Amino acid sequence: MKRSLRTIAAFGVAAALAVGASGCAADKQITIAFVMGAESDPFFQAMKVGAEAEAKAEGVKLIWQGDASHYDVATEVPIVDNVIAQKPDGLVLIPTDPDGLQASNDKAIAAGIAVANVDTHVTDLSKVITFITGDNGDGGAKAAKAIADKIGYAAGKTYQVVVGLTSATATTNVARLEGFKAAVAQDYPGIQIMDVAYSAANPQTAASNVNNWLTKYPNLVGIFAIDGTNASGAAAALQAKGLTKKIALVGYDAYPANVELIKSGVFTALIAQDPAAEARLAIKTLVDYIKNKKSPAQRDVVIANVTLDANTSAADLAKYTYVATN
Amino acid sequence: MTDSKQALSVRDRARSLVGNQTSLLIVVMIVLSVVFTAFSNGTFLSTGVFANILTDWGGYILLAVGQTLVVISGGIDLSVGSTVSLSSVVAGFFMVKILGLNSDLKGVDAWGVLALAALVAIATGLVVGAVNAVLINVLKIVPFIATLSTFGAAAGLAIIVSGGMPMQGPSDFSLINPVRIPGIDPAVFDTGLFSPMVLVMIIVTAIVGLFLHKARFGLYTYAIGSNAFAARAAGINVKVHTSKIYLVSGALSGIAGFYAYIRLGSGSPSSGMGMELYAIAATVIGGASLMGGVGRMWGTALGTLILFTVQSGLLMTGVATDWKQIIVAILIAAAVAVQTLQKKNGAR
Repeated sequence: MKRSLRTIAAFGVAAALAVGASGCAADKQITIAFVMGAESDPFFQAMKVGAEAEAKAEGVKLIWQGDASHYDVATEVPIVDNVIAQKPDGLVLIPTDPDGLQASNDKAIAAGIAVANVDTHVTDLSKVITFITGDNGDGGAKAAKAIADKIGYAAGKTYQVVVGLTSATATTNVARLEGFKAAVAQDYPGIQIMDVAYSAANPQTAASNVNNWLTKYPNLVGIFAIDGTNASGAAAALQAKGLTKKIALVGYDAYPANVELIKSGVFTALIAQDPAAEARLAIKTLVDYIKNKKSPAQRDVVIANVTLDANTSAADLAKYTYVATN
Repeated sequence: MTDSKQALSVRDRARSLVGNQTSLLIVVMIVLSVVFTAFSNGTFLSTGVFANILTDWGGYILLAVGQTLVVISGGIDLSVGSTVSLSSVVAGFFMVKILGLNSDLKGVDAWGVLALAALVAIATGLVVGAVNAVLINVLKIVPFIATLSTFGAAAGLAIIVSGGMPMQGPSDFSLINPVRIPGIDPAVFDTGLFSPMVLVMIIVTAIVGLFLHKARFGLYTYAIGSNAFAARAAGINVKVHTSKIYLVSGALSGIAGFYAYIRLGSGSPSSGMGMELYAIAATVIGGASLMGGVGRMWGTALGTLILFTVQSGLLMTGVATDWKQIIVAILIAAAVAVQTLQKKNGAR
């Protein structure tokens, strides 16, 4: 009984949708699958908020998938395979590894699924409808500038800084580090990048790395914490050692907790992305492609990163702060 | 070895107290320290570095201690890392969402509420431990699979409770900072090795160690791990005792979750990420056998210390931290090889 009622209801909804969508080529509801890196990462939580809002606005069904906590190619590949088996019309993929996810990416395309890459990308993007990312290289350059401003960079002097990363292969980490290095080489040659270390996505490990650096480099003046996990760990380590404001800490990602710490001076600046905007644009582009077979004018879209610091208005801080889903 | 069976000499007594593996581990620890000191131009050999190592040790030790009990009893607990994430997040949730407090509450003023949060974290760990106990002893699921499911469930729950982001609440970073002996100038001689939290972890480790080696609790644990059938025949309620062990492992993970909260000043859903593997590695390096019945608390404490000596040492010597995994792998293989050799020689 319950089941038949549900079926009738489903038919009703479908009929209403069909009427509403009359004139469109497809009468059935479009399904977009979204496979992201790790549910525990606030970046993807913020992305989920954007994806759900856009799916609702477009009237499409959203399948949100990804490992609970491991940003890892080994856990992502089976998830993508599983999602392909559900035959969605579109797939937004956040590849945790450029080569590791290439086969899954191509398999989806071969199955007739329109694929978008967001944030990170597979090596061969030729059959992907769109690739949307934050400008990570530019974000790295902005971080270099924020550190230089804070330490009062003067030509001819030398300054020691370190960079905390999550992994050596995540393309966003790599792009940010390259942007940071390029800006340092070009504009701030006196800044010496002494070391990099990896947190493996655990903020306690990130804090431990910073602790060890503070002992190893007593003249350290700056830390670039390349993502939210490293930012949390570095902020805790500096607060514990009472080095807040003495060492320029530039983090990435606008976790609410970290945005709070801009006000108290723990963070010199946070470089913020707009993951919700990336997700919205990806879904919109795919739906447009599926309905009208229209490719976007430009395949690669870069959404600029912004610097949040003590001078940022409260309205802008609120705009870029990630929203928790609870 | 030959005369040891005749009479208990002082040396044998000392050996039986700490075990063979322990002296080996101390040697490994010293060798590592010497190598790291040599390759870091001496910077490794400082109070600051050892304080950092102890801070890391404090974060992981209770997971390794719990794992030691579980492993000696012949089981395994994969859920401990996720339990750290979950209990740190629940502690944060309790202070921020239930008590309505925020990060403005700092220092000594926060102690009262932090103590309450510690109890909440322990309770959270106990719940995970209880679920493990039920899955293993009531539903008869093998420990590996049972704790693999709670590993996933706790990680997921940590994200749901926190909304996927760190929950920043009351904090006191001085609890995680090494305490110095007053009157001694740290510039001359730095006495800052142990933070209050690390001291608490040492005390908890010692208490569990006493239960393992000096009380009936430990005797039962070894008996079950050596031969569960014989233990049952000897009148030990195996189900009740293994349930207790998983509860203890859960509670210890809860304390480790509280440690993570204090260390980060926030409850982070990824704060326990990957910790279970280090806990198992530390236990194995410390001489416990995954076959059950073998293991010592001293070994586990040193095994954990060695892991973080390697981590800090590599960073201080400027070797890429990718090497950490390789060195840890070698240590694990060496530890198991030593065990096998000792068994052949009839010693434990």
